[in-house]
Order: sequence, then structure tokens, then C-alpha cells
Amino acid sequence: MTKRTAFSFFSVYYKPTRIALYRFKPMSNVNKLFSTRKIYDLKKSDALFVKAMRDNCRYQYGHCPAYKEFLDRFRFQPDDIRTFDDLQRLPFLPTLYLKKHRMLSMSERRLPLKVTSSGTGGNKSFVGFNLRSIWNAFKMVCRVAKYHNLWSARLTRYVVFGYRPRRDNSLGASKSAWGFTFFAPAASRIYALDYKDGGYKLDLDNIKNKLVKYSKGRLPVRTMGFPAYTYFLLRQMKEEGLSVKLPKGSLICLGGGWKQFYAEKIGKQEFYDLAFEVLGVDDKHIIEFFGAVEHPILYTDCREHHFHLPAYSRVIIRDVDTLLPVPDGVPGLVNLLTPLFDSAPMLSILTDDIGVLHSDPCSCGETSPYLEILGRVGVKDVVTCAQGAEEILKDFLRTDDDTL
Amino acid sequence: MILYKGKIYPDSKQNELIDKLPEDLLFTLSHPNLAVFDKVIAAGDKMYRKAIDGGYDDVAIPLLNEFGISYQRYITMARAFSAEVLRYKCSVELGDDWQNLPPLSGGTVRRFAPLGVLFHVAAGNVDGLPAYSVAEGLLAGNINILKLPSGDSGLSVRLLSDLIAQEPDLAEYIYVFDVPSTEFDTMKRLANLADGVVVWGGDLAQHAARDMCGVNTVIIPWGHKLSFAYATPSVTDEQLDALALHICSTEQLLCSSCQGIFFDTDDEEELIAFAKRFFEILKARNLRFGKADAAMRGRNSVQLYTDRLENVYPLILSDEGVSVVVKRDARLELSYTFRNVWIKALPHTQIVKELKPNKGYLQTCGLLCSDKEKQTLADALIAAGLVRITGRDLSRTFFGEAHDGVYPLRQYSRVVEID
Repeated sequence: MTKRTAFSFFSVYYKPTRIALYRFKPMSNVNKLFSTRKIYDLKKSDALFVKAMRDNCRYQYGHCPAYKEFLDRFRFQPDDIRTFDDLQRLPFLPTLYLKKHRMLSMSERRLPLKVTSSGTGGNKSFVGFNLRSIWNAFKMVCRVAKYHNLWSARLTRYVVFGYRPRRDNSLGASKSAWGFTFFAPAASRIYALDYKDGGYKLDLDNIKNKLVKYSKGRLPVRTMGFPAYTYFLLRQMKEEGLSVKLPKGSLICLGGGWKQFYAEKIGKQEFYDLAFEVLGVDDKHIIEFFGAVEHPILYTDCREHHFHLPAYSRVIIRDVDTLLPVPDGVPGLVNLLTPLFDSAPMLSILTDDIGVLHSDPCSCGETSPYLEILGRVGVKDVVTCAQGAEEILKDFLRTDDDTL
Repeated sequence: MILYKGKIYPDSKQNELIDKLPEDLLFTLSHPNLAVFDKVIAAGDKMYRKAIDGGYDDVAIPLLNEFGISYQRYITMARAFSAEVLRYKCSVELGDDWQNLPPLSGGTVRRFAPLGVLFHVAAGNVDGLPAYSVAEGLLAGNINILKLPSGDSGLSVRLLSDLIAQEPDLAEYIYVFDVPSTEFDTMKRLANLADGVVVWGGDLAQHAARDMCGVNTVIIPWGHKLSFAYATPSVTDEQLDALALHICSTEQLLCSSCQGIFFDTDDEEELIAFAKRFFEILKARNLRFGKADAAMRGRNSVQLYTDRLENVYPLILSDEGVSVVVKRDARLELSYTFRNVWIKALPHTQIVKELKPNKGYLQTCGLLCSDKEKQTLADALIAAGLVRITGRDLSRTFFGEAHDGVYPLRQYSRVVEID
């Protein structure tokens, strides 16, 4: 009976004539959440987080017919979100689904920033940011950077293990790496993937030479990029017997996950040891970020290298078979929640990652639980003969898989 | 690592050795060792004996554990190298009288001769396979050049140097290079030295081989295949349980693994009833067998949840990492693997029509029906292009069986006639 009431309430409430109202009132909880000052104090932000999620859910329900249909199928209404536990019941969308079906709650014209994920097999996630989401994300980045002492007034040399930004490159990884070069004023920026003669070319030798040169100077260096690329370069330098000491204040920043490593099983400690040996940077100056195009929350590791959950998001770990929540400490599929996006119903997404949420105390002093990514689903990556045949059959016979 | 005439060299010597190779090949071809066949049999047999005495346990046991193969099965597989089995293989593939073919037309003498030089482009999905491919080439009397798969564990070089250690005369018949497939020019040079190129691997590898070989080089393709089961309404629970066991034990990863079941009906209700019946059997079997790898179950749960949201399939049943998905088309496709099966309707009258477009990819069909239906259905499946019609265990192996419908030794030999 209550559900029925809620339903009719929305159909009235979201009549176009009333749209002006939501802009001022219900979404303000989201703004408030992204203005939180104590970024790792989850207890304090829990109630606000729930309200912000409910507001976002209401908005998506009213503006994205596909999302409305989705929630209706699960007999779930935005107003069912009352407590934190209700968020566990909120139906989640898999990134796999979002890659195949673009869901939007507003016109693309209202989205000044558009980003795609580096998807494989032609399927990419698309996300768009309206002005308000950009502003909220900006506030978040500023606060997280402040907490982790990323702001600096000293001129800095940036080394990006990624793409040189171009207007036609909408990759999220490229945009976030570029954004990273503004925490401290840039003396220079170099990129491992440079655009030359109509295509991106990898030039690690250039990076290597520059790092050697920078180590003799005074300006601190900040590197940014995939752990795998960084590791590859470090190993190459070690093999060539190169060992330098980067100027004081230099940082090695990693982002984009360790997914390329799961097969090789390279431990983080091994990476830290290598970085110290080759570049003279200790692990207190190695910072790792985690985030996803579909969930652009800036997770930053603490000095114990743990990804504590910030106030802007929550994580639910789900059983690999039943998709039901599991207790802390038990590994499962990673379900990420945030009310950041206005433009699309990405408030609760199920990723392809396997992770575990730790609630034991961390010596860094923060009480927020921390997320450890253990691997990616399907990575045993067995090479099979049957799979190879399928690849070609797909080309050969018409498939209805690729809607994008 | 390079193996050249029984000696191991570092990869940096690659170009130097390949420059020398044509001369060495020509020398061996002009002065063939007529006892090659006996030497291979003898060396193989010694290795087999060493294996059953535990001589390879240091490398074998970690591999067996990784792939969940029992030690007993390893011993059975090792028998493939015994003198008895190698001789049996020759007589099955080349005929009982292969060493003594009767003359033709009164006086024309016939015999099998090797192609000459074989270039094996190996795939990395089964560890012992590159070495086995070379052994087959040797059995037919060929000189063999092996290109190692990327990420080779070193097992191939170890096995082949051991083979040479048993019979040093084989040294000039075995060359191993670790050339990356991307070094197209080197690959092409090696391919041009060969009379036949043996290509293991998917279509990418097969296309690459066609690009690098001249028209005067024979390509022997061992490509990737797909297999499935075909069931009629007379199928018994016991047959389905055995199929479920096959699915759990191979994790649907082999060319011969069952990807899904075609059911002989044109009625969706009947199809759905069958799917429900098989799901219960698969679930029970899975419970007894032990769950599949968690990362794979996670991948399939996300996939099945997405399928449910997309709402295009008439029925999706899943539990504990196993699933049965009923689909409306009759396309042969890869399953999600790791105990996740598709079920599609395929009336027996449509078998040839629906399966024929998959020519070249068809391998095994596990035929689950009554005895009286068997012959007609087998005929239709063979007409569609299948090469093995088995019962419930699609991945059964035995000595002397053909490989994807052909005998390798015939592919690696030619028949010569001397008037």
C-alpha cells in the first residue's frame, strides 16, 4: 500500500511543470555531502549519505525511464531508502550492462564533460558530468588532495605514464592524469604516450633519460600512471644498472589498478622496494589512487597503503554466487555507491572487481573501513582452444551482442 | 632459449644460428639418417620408462596440480611415448603395411617418405603439446623446427633435450627457437625453409601462417574447435548426469568440451522442461564435484545478472556457480564456461542446415539418444561437418585416434613411387 502511494506521488511530483522545484530542494543533500570536511568520518556522514542517495535515486527514477523500469522490476521505490541497510537492497547496475546500454537522465547538451572508459572488445562505458557534478567532484578532489598533502606551491616536473591529452581523446585515464598535474605548479610535463604522425607512440627511453636528468636538478618530480607501466620502466632501469635519487619531495603516484599484475602476482612491497632502489623514493612518497569511470570517487591510500572509504561513497561486497552482501573481511564482488552523478543512474554499480572490505583498525588513525582489490573476475585467464574459435565465429556469424 | 643440434644457446644468438640453419638443414637432408624412426621409438620409450619411474615428477607434479590432473592420468598420457603405442599409432595412421607397401602395377615400389622439414608454430594452452608435435614430426622422419609459444615454461626445451640425450642422433632433427610471433620477417624465413608449417592456435595464428607461407609450402592447421551435446527426448537422467560430470571436470575449456546442448524439439515448452531437468542434474553433480574457481563464478554471476536485466532469454537458471540459459536461436557458440551451459532447440531435420555454417570449427558431438535413433542422427551430424560422435564423455581420448578428423602422420608424409 505504501509503495503504491510512493509511486503515485512521483508520477505527480515529476510532472515537467514541477521540475524547477527539485533543482533547489531535494538535491541539496548531495551538495552538502560533497562539502563534508571530515572526509573519512563515515559515522558522521552516514545519515547525510543515505539522504543524498535517496534524492539522487528519486531524480534518476523520475528522469530516466529505463531506470524507472529497472527499479519497478525489482519492486523498489526511491522512498524505500530510509536507512543505511536499505542501500544494500537498492538494485545495482553492473558496469557490464552500462557498457552495452547507455542510460541518461538529462540531455547530452547539459554535459560539458564527457568521459569514456578504456573498454575492451569495443564496449566502453560512457559517463557525462553536468556542471553540478563537476563542481561536486572538484570539491571532493580539493579536499582529498588537502588531506593527503598533495597541494604544493613548489614548481614540479610531471612525468605521466599515459596519453598526452588531445581534444579527441575522451579516455577517463587520460583526463584524470592531466588533472593531476595541477596540484602543484608545473615546470614541465612529459608523457610516455606521445601523439606523433597521426598516432600514439610509446617512448619509455625518453622518460628514462628525463628521469636521470631531473634527478640531477632541484625541482621535485611527480610521476603518474598505471602501476604496470611504472613497474615496467623501473625494472628496465634496474636491468640497465640505472639508479638515481629523485629530488626531495618527489612523489610516485599510481592509478588505474593493478589488474595487469594479477597474473604475474607481483606484490606491492616488491614494487616499493624497486622504486626505492631505482629512483630513491621511499614508500611514504608513493601514493596510489583508485577510481572508475562509472564511479569517479577519488580513493587515495593512507600511509599504510589502505584505501579508506571517503564520506562521498560506500562499498558493499557481494557474494560471488548469490550477489547478497557478505560480512566485512569476506571477499566478493565490489559494489560501489555514490550519489555524485546527476546525468545517469549510476548510484549503485556492480564492478568486475573482486575485493574485500576491512573494518579492523588501521594505524593511520582513520576509522573508516578500507577496500582491498584482490583481482578481477574471470582472471585465471586460461587460454582455451574453444574460446579462440568463438572469436572468429562472432565475426563470421551475425551477433546481437554489440549494441554500442 | 634456443635448442640447436642438441645444444642450448641464449636468444641473443638467434640471428646467427638462423643464418647457419639452411646449410645445416641441407646437409641433413642430403645425408639422411635412415634409422631416425627406430631412434625416435627408442628415445620415446626410454622417456616413457623414465616418466613412470618418477623421473619427470619435479616438472610434472606442479603442472598436474595447476590443471587438476591426477597422477594416474599423467601415467596413462605418458604411455603415448612408449614404443608399443608409437608403433600402434603408425600402423593405425599409415596402415598395417606402412613399412612394406605392396608394389603397384607389377613393379612400381611405393613407400612413405617424410615431407622434409616441418616448422611447428606451437600454442601455449597445453604445456606438453609443443614437444609432442615435434615427436609426431620425427615419427614421420622429418627435420623439425619448433617456434615456442610465448610464455613457454621451459618444459618443451627440457623434454626435447632429454629426447636427444636418449638418442644423440636425433640432434640434427630438432631445432627450437623462441621467436616472438611479432618478428614477422624471422617467422617468414623459418617458414620458407620448411616444406610444411604445422600451426597450432586460433584463427589469428592460422591467418598469420597463411600470410607468411609461400604457395609451395603446405600448411597443416590445428585450429580451435567447438563441441556440443545433442539430446533427444529419450535421453536418460543417467546420460545427462554423465554429461554434467564431463562439463564439471573439463570446465568447458577444451576443444572437445561440451559448450551447450541442442535438444531435438521445436516446442519451447518442451525445451524449457528439458532445461529445468538438466539444471537439477548439473546442480547436483556440481555439489558433489566441488565448486569452480571463485573468480570465474564471480564473472559468470555478473554476466547472468546482466542477462537477466536484458531480459532476452526465455529462461535463466543459476545456482552455486552453475547455470543453464535457454536461448531461442540455434547458433553454435562458446558458453560462459566453468559449468555454464546454453540450451537451444534444434529439430533433427534442421541439423545440417543450422550447423553447416560452422564448417571447420566443428569437432565433437556428445550424442545422447536411444540406440535406435543413433545412426540417423550420427549421419546428419557427420554431414554437417562433425568429426567425432561420442557418447556422454566428449573428451575421451585413446591411442590411435584421429586429430580433428585427420591423421597427423599422413599430413607429415608423402607417398613416393619408384618405377
